[in-house]
Amino acid sequence: MLIFVLKRIGFAIVTLLVAAAVAFVLVHLSGSTPGGVALGQSATAVQIHEYNARVGWYDPWIVQYTDWLGNVLRGDLGVSLVDGRDIGADIAKRLPVTAALAVFGTLFSALLGIAMGVAAAVRGGAIDRAITVISGILLSLPAFWVGVLLVYFFAVKGHLLPATGFVPFQNDPAAWARSLVLPVLTIALTAAAGIARQARASMAESLTQEHMRTLRAVGTPTHRIVSVHALRGASLPILASIAVQFIVLFGGSAIIEVLYALPGIGQAMQASVGSSDLPFVQALVLVATLVVVVVNLALELFTLALDPKLRTS
Amino acid sequence: MTVSTTAIVRPRRTNRRIGRMLISSPTAILSLVWLVGLILASLSAPLWLPYGPLAQDLNAVLQGPSARHLLGTDELGRDLFSRIVTAAAPTMLIALLTPIVGVAITIPLTLWAARYRRVELVMNRVSEIVLSLPGMVIILAVIAAVGTNMVIVMSLFGVLLFGALYRVFFGQAKSLHRQLFLEAAAVDGVRPMMASLRHVLPNMSNTVIVQFVLIFGVGIGMQAGLAFIGLGPQPPAPTWGGMIQAASKFIFQQPWMMVPTGGVLALTIVAANALADVLSGGAAAPPPLVQLRRRRTPGPEVVAPAAPVSDRELWVEDLVIGVDDGPELVSGVSLRVKPGTVLGLVGESGCGKSVTSYAMLGLLAPGLSVRSGRIRWGATDLARADERALQRVRGHEIAFISQEPSRALDPMFTVEWQLAAVVRRLRGTGRREAKQIAARLLTDVGIVDVPRVLRSYPHQISGGMAQRVAIALALAGTPGLLIADEPTTALDVTVQAEILDLLRALVAERDMSVILVTHDLGVVADICDEVSVMYAGQIVESGSTRDVLLRPEHPYTMALLASDPHTILDLESIPRLASIPGQVPAPGSWTPGCRFAERCRFAIPECSSPIALEPRAIGAGGVRCIRHDEVQGRQDEWRVPAVAGGRA
Repeated sequence: MLIFVLKRIGFAIVTLLVAAAVAFVLVHLSGSTPGGVALGQSATAVQIHEYNARVGWYDPWIVQYTDWLGNVLRGDLGVSLVDGRDIGADIAKRLPVTAALAVFGTLFSALLGIAMGVAAAVRGGAIDRAITVISGILLSLPAFWVGVLLVYFFAVKGHLLPATGFVPFQNDPAAWARSLVLPVLTIALTAAAGIARQARASMAESLTQEHMRTLRAVGTPTHRIVSVHALRGASLPILASIAVQFIVLFGGSAIIEVLYALPGIGQAMQASVGSSDLPFVQALVLVATLVVVVVNLALELFTLALDPKLRTS
Repeated sequence: MTVSTTAIVRPRRTNRRIGRMLISSPTAILSLVWLVGLILASLSAPLWLPYGPLAQDLNAVLQGPSARHLLGTDELGRDLFSRIVTAAAPTMLIALLTPIVGVAITIPLTLWAARYRRVELVMNRVSEIVLSLPGMVIILAVIAAVGTNMVIVMSLFGVLLFGALYRVFFGQAKSLHRQLFLEAAAVDGVRPMMASLRHVLPNMSNTVIVQFVLIFGVGIGMQAGLAFIGLGPQPPAPTWGGMIQAASKFIFQQPWMMVPTGGVLALTIVAANALADVLSGGAAAPPPLVQLRRRRTPGPEVVAPAAPVSDRELWVEDLVIGVDDGPELVSGVSLRVKPGTVLGLVGESGCGKSVTSYAMLGLLAPGLSVRSGRIRWGATDLARADERALQRVRGHEIAFISQEPSRALDPMFTVEWQLAAVVRRLRGTGRREAKQIAARLLTDVGIVDVPRVLRSYPHQISGGMAQRVAIALALAGTPGLLIADEPTTALDVTVQAEILDLLRALVAERDMSVILVTHDLGVVADICDEVSVMYAGQIVESGSTRDVLLRPEHPYTMALLASDPHTILDLESIPRLASIPGQVPAPGSWTPGCRFAERCRFAIPECSSPIALEPRAIGAGGVRCIRHDEVQGRQDEWRVPAVAGGRA
């Protein structure tokens, strides 16, 4: 058990190192150099060269990579080439925004998806076909387009909610919640379909198992068969699909954040890619991978706790 | 036992060829027409479009649909229809790169890994790492490195999908490799790579194509998403994502603008997904094992004034069970179980024994229903009872144990949790008392180490132990009748005897009656008072155990006895085990005459006319054979090897 956990943690670290290396190589393969980005177009080649030399750009890659990792371990993610912000502090400020988006988005898409999938598996027939078609369409709709439509109906037409923008929780919790409603709704609608499919398949499989007959024979009511026994049996694959959804949301937050002008890490990624802010890109890849790895690790431990066969072996 | 009968109602997935699958599905045809048509229209656009994609008309900006501009115009007065069509081919053709690269990388690595264990270990790790990389973020980092060169970006996206694709492909490749024909190919000296290409790959083609189409859809969405956040192909080249971004800026002035572009984008991805759905054979979910929706109660039957049934007596009359819109499975079965007696229900697999036993508790699988007849239990007719009446009977008055003890318990909960939950509901006790009763029940069914079993999950206890737990579960509501569907079939012989002893003791102690469904005549001889022999949905012989086993009157009963390994010991003079030629005819293929005739060595032409259940020659009970007087006592003839049947 302990060995298993240690192994998984070790694997998580390897994954992080690979992601860091990928980010490092990509940044160094790009045509941009720190000097070129930081000093802008007015700088001379000599100035740029001096700047690059000062930040160690011409050192061997392996030296730069280990230097960078060393700094990261000390909590220093570097400064932005564009405006000299401290990257670590900036990401720390942005993380809660993206986290709120991903957590609430996952939560609501899980609720919606499980409800749809369970209804389809349990009711069957026309309801199943209808839900399958609806989830097939939701799965295909681009989130940003759904987002624009929602903005149109709820903000432009209905004046119910702010179209874009973000209010920090500390400033005004109510406004914070209102600023998150449309983004979260966009995510819930488009991400629910994947969970619904998994929930439907797992529930249907769970309901064909032999012990369903035993449960019925001792007079277990239908609602209990469905909501306690079948759902518990289907819980592990559903949980895995929710974790996948969370990871996709966290990684793919750029589009939603740009659409709704939310100051999260996705928006930072879009901006720093657009402006070739190299250390920022590198740091964001690392942070995003860290989140994925931590969520995966949590999922594995959760699975371990939820599956009696794994837990007792 | 239920396998052969329930298989009829399960939709069977046929292995149709891909081409026929596409042609026979309107969805697939529509999707293909949309995808291919869009690409062709887009490629030939310069030839027929009235406006170029970049032609501006500043006098006609932000217009809605009109005769001049079919889908309206954008903020620079450019024709939206022209722009959408022009953008289609580049978007879709470049999106093809993602699945091409993904599949091209994954397939060779999958085949390699499926062949060599060491490669498999490495590939598993690699795919896991790739799967853990945040795809979208890496893609953005790639754009930071190489700029908005979509060819490179979408190809690299294909590389990043290796993790997910490998998972899907590898499972299938591995199982194909295990199959025999590959071993045979290896023996024949086919080179490993050739064997993989020739035998494994073609069998994976459907999966590969499905994934290809799915990823194509994902690729289109990804490209549009990137263009939406300004990191796709740069303006002024029209892109769907870029046009939606522009539409979102002018949403106050002209909301129409986002409709056509978004619609076309969504429809394209819908088409790809629908195509993949059809190719993967649709996603028909298997029906649940138990009826979850409200049952259609069979129409009211004209009830003739029946003789009163005593309180704990089960009386089944002319029970007919069939597949809805399908064949009959049980035709006119009658049974009577008096309190404190054990009735054996005997027959080969597929005779309808289990289905009959399910009907008594309303446990028929969805798609099966009672067509006529009565199942009288005290004052209720269980064949016509609604769910509420059945709930009053289930567990409380009639209990059920199934043939696979280790699968009859919920694997996710401990024995104590499951037992206590049932005790609480059936006896209305509190939590603590329920646990005490649970422990007592386990002691009653002969479990020695009660605390350990209570704590255990079903997978931690043996089959015999699990069957004892299942019996304890059945006893939780102190029922008067226990229906046991092959309770010992899945168990070792020594454990079988213990379970039978337990059942016998329970009958004696609790004045319970039992219906024992089995194909084992040894079990019947051991424990049953009465026997009914079923063949192809009918009772062919019934009577006391003594009469039926010692003086069988129906040729089928004789054949069963002659083919029972236990009886060899008694008949040392003829040490031959008979086998009954042929198989039980499938439901739907039953003839109006004797259903056993074509396997029967005593059959004569008259056997093809309908045959009623006649009284036995000796003792109470019935026989469904017109020659039962003549064939009586000739059971040993079944041991002589000969071609049987009237046709021989």
